[in-house]
Amino acid sequence: MRFRGPLFVFSLLLLTFFFATASSFAIPAFSRQYGTSCTTCHVDYPKLNDFGKAFKDAGFKFPKDDESFLKVPPVMLGAPAQKELWPHTVFPGTIPGLPPIGLRYNQFFQYTPASANNYNPGGSTAGPNVPRTDFESGLFSIFMAGNFGSDIAFWVDDDLSVSGANSNGGLGDGYLKFVNIGRVFKLPTDSLSLRVGQFELDLPFSQARSINISPWDIYTQANIGFSGSQNVNNVFALGDAAQGFEISGGHQYAGYHYSLAIVNQNTSGTSSGAPNVSSPGGFFSDSNYKDIYGRFSYRFNLEKDSASRHEVQAAGATGPRDHTSLALGTFFFKGRSVQRIDGDTGVLTAREPFYRFGGDFSFNYRTFNLFGLYMYGHDDDLLLNSGATGFTPGPAAKFNGGFLEADYLALPWVMTILRYDRVQSSADFLSQSGGVNYFSPVGSTRNRVTPGVQFLIHANIKAAFEYAIRPQQALVYDSNGKALNAFRTNTATGMLEFVY
Amino acid sequence: MKRTWIMVVAVVAMLSFTASAGTISGKVSGVTGESVVYVEAVAGKTFPAPTEKPVIDQKGLMFTPHIVAVEQGTTVEFLNSDKVAHNVFWPSVGGNKKFSKNLGTWPQGEKRAFKFDNPGAVPLLCNVHPEMGGYIVVSPTPYFAVTDKSGNYKIENVPDGSYSVTAWHEGAKNSSKPVTVAGEGKADFTLTK
Repeated sequence: MRFRGPLFVFSLLLLTFFFATASSFAIPAFSRQYGTSCTTCHVDYPKLNDFGKAFKDAGFKFPKDDESFLKVPPVMLGAPAQKELWPHTVFPGTIPGLPPIGLRYNQFFQYTPASANNYNPGGSTAGPNVPRTDFESGLFSIFMAGNFGSDIAFWVDDDLSVSGANSNGGLGDGYLKFVNIGRVFKLPTDSLSLRVGQFELDLPFSQARSINISPWDIYTQANIGFSGSQNVNNVFALGDAAQGFEISGGHQYAGYHYSLAIVNQNTSGTSSGAPNVSSPGGFFSDSNYKDIYGRFSYRFNLEKDSASRHEVQAAGATGPRDHTSLALGTFFFKGRSVQRIDGDTGVLTAREPFYRFGGDFSFNYRTFNLFGLYMYGHDDDLLLNSGATGFTPGPAAKFNGGFLEADYLALPWVMTILRYDRVQSSADFLSQSGGVNYFSPVGSTRNRVTPGVQFLIHANIKAAFEYAIRPQQALVYDSNGKALNAFRTNTATGMLEFVY
Repeated sequence: MKRTWIMVVAVVAMLSFTASAGTISGKVSGVTGESVVYVEAVAGKTFPAPTEKPVIDQKGLMFTPHIVAVEQGTTVEFLNSDKVAHNVFWPSVGGNKKFSKNLGTWPQGEKRAFKFDNPGAVPLLCNVHPEMGGYIVVSPTPYFAVTDKSGNYKIENVPDGSYSVTAWHEGAKNSSKPVTVAGEGKADFTLTK
């Protein structure tokens, strides 16, 4: 692990960027099936409006009377009356009448000031050169989603190419969701659903459906030590896709919502598995432990009119709209990072518990949405003892931060955005090389202000712009504390994207 | 006495001739689907508002029927048959944005009514489902017809006389032409988009 350096971390950040943005989708397949526009479910796709949230909660179906809206009838995989014969027949289901396929492509143009190349301290190492301007191809992705009847929903998305390289992507999400299985146990409607597969955790604000070009920094924050003497080496980031299962209940558009997921543990970034043990899909975990993620939120719809308050969308004087609402939530993630190190007496295994927890809020008034999230991360750190025979507790690696974002839909096709991201990480301090902080000046790691604006050219074509304004940073300071080779990585990014 | 009777019969015959109900028929071509053909306002003549209230339904994320022709002064009822929220609004009447109107939101099974006092085409929209579109064509006279899908139409009960007849089609430019009805009038239109 001695090869870590600016190039490595920079590459990691780039990869994180691509993978974290790899799964933002709107679903043209639903537009085809229902003969309706993207804006039925999205406010500036892929961000969902209240109806889109209800559609998703219902298992990619209209919340009520779904059949009457389908323009393309589903194909029956068994007459409905076959249900009466079960278990002496296969339970009847359906598949969408059209292959529910959507495609997405985007491309970028980026401007970065020249001082960003001061990232290489002293110029002593040939590091990555950040071009002043750059045209970049982004993602070409395929995604499929729908419902198989019996309230079984499915989703699969995959990046066919990333940055113009074929097959450089991978599976984003792929899961089955058994909606409202609580009815089997006579539980209240929609109080229990089950999702199995690979999926984005039930984050307070979905990175997959974020409208931002760059991901929220806190979601990509990993706890990675730099020095070889430090063993904090946890690549887990909250925005990563997870494999496992999740139970959930409630609604995203009103009232309570909860989820509890048991997912693979993989904090090293590499999978386990001996060659003499076969596995149908390959191993994803790197330890025996399974991680736990939980979330609970409650949304207060603040409409005065009671009937309107309890509907999926509020009934405004000029038409249906999203509710004026306030949502509050909390979440936690608990895992145990495992590292195996060659010691004097053989392989030594360090098991370092870690957790993340935080809170979030979202306030919506008409077309204005103010929301934010705070998260605290904590990794226990075990240090190899001097004899390399075991471990001694070291200082925990901690970070905290979050974001605050305001979205205002100035016109149905113009979205304005202002966000503030902040990540304060002691792991970055632990990553000091030669007595200097790695990512940025001490006390100001990864914070930025990012205004943006987006234009829907059509409901499925978008031009987006954002400008990330970061504080001045430096890798080296002189004896008086003055920054040497200070730089800013302010970045202007434009994006053109279409889905079809 | 005999002359008097002849005169009476002649006058009655003339009156019945001038008041006789004729037809205007023809074909609208150059476009596909239904069009609306109507007789423009007749100088010095007014018509009572009809009492019938046609209903336009919002069902399956569609306005049904897609095109409705009504006489000026007609009250149209808008029904929501869907289990999703809809609204009805129109940005103009006959291209005049001053007559734009938003009727708001109402639940499934309920109706909301509006009286159309200004002639012209009314593009109906729903502000949460932008793919939904329908039209009301408000005719200034009771003489109008919706064509069949081939473009054929027939306007009945048109008194003999000279009129200006207009053809309307969704997304096409209106076309007007003079027509003289003497028992029967003919007017074919070729519309372009």
